[in-house]
Amino acid sequence: MTNEMKDTIRVLLADDEIEFATTLSIRLNLRGFETTVAYSGHEALEKIDSKDLDVVILDLKMPDLDGLEVLARLRVNHPKLPVIILTGHGAFEAGKEGMELGAFDYIMKPADLNLLTAKIEEAHETVSGSEAKRGR
Amino acid sequence: MKLVFSIFEKLIPLSLSGGMDSNFSNRNYRRLNAILVAIMLATAIVPMLMAAGLGFKSYNELFRDTERAEVQWQLDGSIKSMEYLLHTLESIVLFVARDDRYEELNQGSSLEELFFRLQRQYGYFSDLGVIDENGIQQNYYGPYDLEGIDYSEEEWFKEVLDRGVYISKVYTGYREIPHFAMAVSKVEPKTRKRWVLRSTIEAGKLQKFVNTIKNSAEDDFFLIDNEGKLQTSSQRYGEPLSHFLSDVEPGVHRIVSENGESVFRAVGAISHTPWSLVIINPNYIHGSEWKTFRARLLAIVLFCIVTSIFVVVLLVNAMTRRLQMADELQITMLKEAEQTEKLASIGRLAAGVGHEINNPLAIIDQRTGLMEDLLHLSGDFTHKDAMQEGLAGISRSVERCKVITHRLLGFARRNPVTAENLQINQVIAEVLQFLDSEMLYNKIRLNLKLSNDLPVVVSDRTQLQQVFLNIIKNAIDAIDREGTITISSNCLAGDIRVVIEDDGPGIPEEIIKHIFEPFYTTKETGKGTGLGLSITFGLLKKLGGDITVRSKVGVGTAFTITIPPECYVHDQ
Repeated sequence: MTNEMKDTIRVLLADDEIEFATTLSIRLNLRGFETTVAYSGHEALEKIDSKDLDVVILDLKMPDLDGLEVLARLRVNHPKLPVIILTGHGAFEAGKEGMELGAFDYIMKPADLNLLTAKIEEAHETVSGSEAKRGR
Repeated sequence: MKLVFSIFEKLIPLSLSGGMDSNFSNRNYRRLNAILVAIMLATAIVPMLMAAGLGFKSYNELFRDTERAEVQWQLDGSIKSMEYLLHTLESIVLFVARDDRYEELNQGSSLEELFFRLQRQYGYFSDLGVIDENGIQQNYYGPYDLEGIDYSEEEWFKEVLDRGVYISKVYTGYREIPHFAMAVSKVEPKTRKRWVLRSTIEAGKLQKFVNTIKNSAEDDFFLIDNEGKLQTSSQRYGEPLSHFLSDVEPGVHRIVSENGESVFRAVGAISHTPWSLVIINPNYIHGSEWKTFRARLLAIVLFCIVTSIFVVVLLVNAMTRRLQMADELQITMLKEAEQTEKLASIGRLAAGVGHEINNPLAIIDQRTGLMEDLLHLSGDFTHKDAMQEGLAGISRSVERCKVITHRLLGFARRNPVTAENLQINQVIAEVLQFLDSEMLYNKIRLNLKLSNDLPVVVSDRTQLQQVFLNIIKNAIDAIDREGTITISSNCLAGDIRVVIEDDGPGIPEEIIKHIFEPFYTTKETGKGTGLGLSITFGLLKKLGGDITVRSKVGVGTAFTITIPPECYVHDQ
């Protein structure tokens, strides 16, 4: 991996709420992230497989594929990919379940952008840090 | 059967059979009580009275019939005795008047000798007379000069010739002593002529006869003639020859005597005489046996009535009290359930609204954020500052909405209860650690009265912490500055009760009613969401517990939290 690639964190934002997803992706890009948007569960899985990603931000409530389902499936091929659950769904136990499935954290909409970016960075660092250790 | 039920339903007031709901609070217990007492007394007393009445009537009839039979028997016996005695008297006269004695008695002193013999032997003959077939008194011995009197036109003379024997009524005659006459007719065998021997007998003899056969001092026992004149003395009606009654029917009758007594009057004719025997028998009603029976019956009836009234009144009172208590309990429970249901449905509504608003809110948040970002990147232009300020305002409002929607969503949270063994005192201590600095800052004194021997409960630690945190924070907010919060815990009937009191301003009654409803807040706008207490309420209900509040303006407020020994999942 090149240095530039390390600096730019590649994020996939999976949310069926198009307006929310596009706006948030623009704001994340403005803050130096490289954001891809997926508007459904299947699209998210597809993009996770085809692209090189650092962090996934996942909505829980999507019409075709539930966020938890996506999380469970992506774990098969990408066991280490950090996932942050971002949902307006007030289901606390769903978040808890997500954590059990290995989500990095759980944030409720409307989320403070500073909190979100901090979490993304934290997630990326934790994973790449452990990878770096293992690499040595 | 249906008819019986419909009648019963009409009898039973609506207040007894009517349904119950929480608005139904005024059963008329006094009226219910009265109706129940009346019904039960009627069912107890009426059959008893009927039985007593029947017994009274039957016994009465039995007594009367027995007594009537007895009086009849006495009358028959007495008449037979009288007939026998009079027959004996007749025999004497018949014996004396031998057929062939006519001549003899008309000669010399033989009639006088006969009279004296009779007088010596029997003592009650007053005179003797011999009468020929033409009715002329041929010879007479006695205190009057009656020789030669013609009796041929007299009724008795005709009768004695017809029947052979004649007995007259009692009369006073010339001697002022009541007496009666007895005459016999004979046929002189030689001349084939009829003649009559007539004797007069003192009425005292009749009295003696009557006294002989009279067997009870209570009974009035006397003879009357066919015109109703007394022939012997009567206890009730006086001396002989005074008037008794005209037209006395033979047989046994119940009559009411002159002095108001109910008596039996038995009348029977004595054959071949002008007399009837009368027995006046005081009724059994005045007898001691009947009086005792009546007194006992009355005593039993009165005792039963008094006992029934006593028992029924006590029983019905106890029943109505029970019913009233049960009703009150039911009403309280219904009201509580209604309150819980109301709060739960408001909660569900709030959660639904929160959920629906949250997503658009997230979009507003992002859009505003993006515009702020873009403004930040672009160069200066007119109104840039004003626009930035406007966007910051939107962001602040979004932040406020966010707090509300997040709390609203808390209602919908279906946090599974993670039960563990807990010491409530320890949970309280953990919560107090959070609030220490805030209390110190506000100069609030903490007064802990925790019981040391509380049993361990099985419940959810986090949710209980949330409950205590909410209530204690509420108390701190209520006091504002300088005051005391008292937290006490104890164990009551297995449940643990924690009372959190503050000496703040207290809550007016009209607010207390709504205190657990969502969005009900008295804090200034933006400071409280009005959700804390309703969430606390919901949490406790979910854990099988309860929370109640009492407050007095100017004195303070106390929340009482009840936690069951073991929580059960009570999800809605």
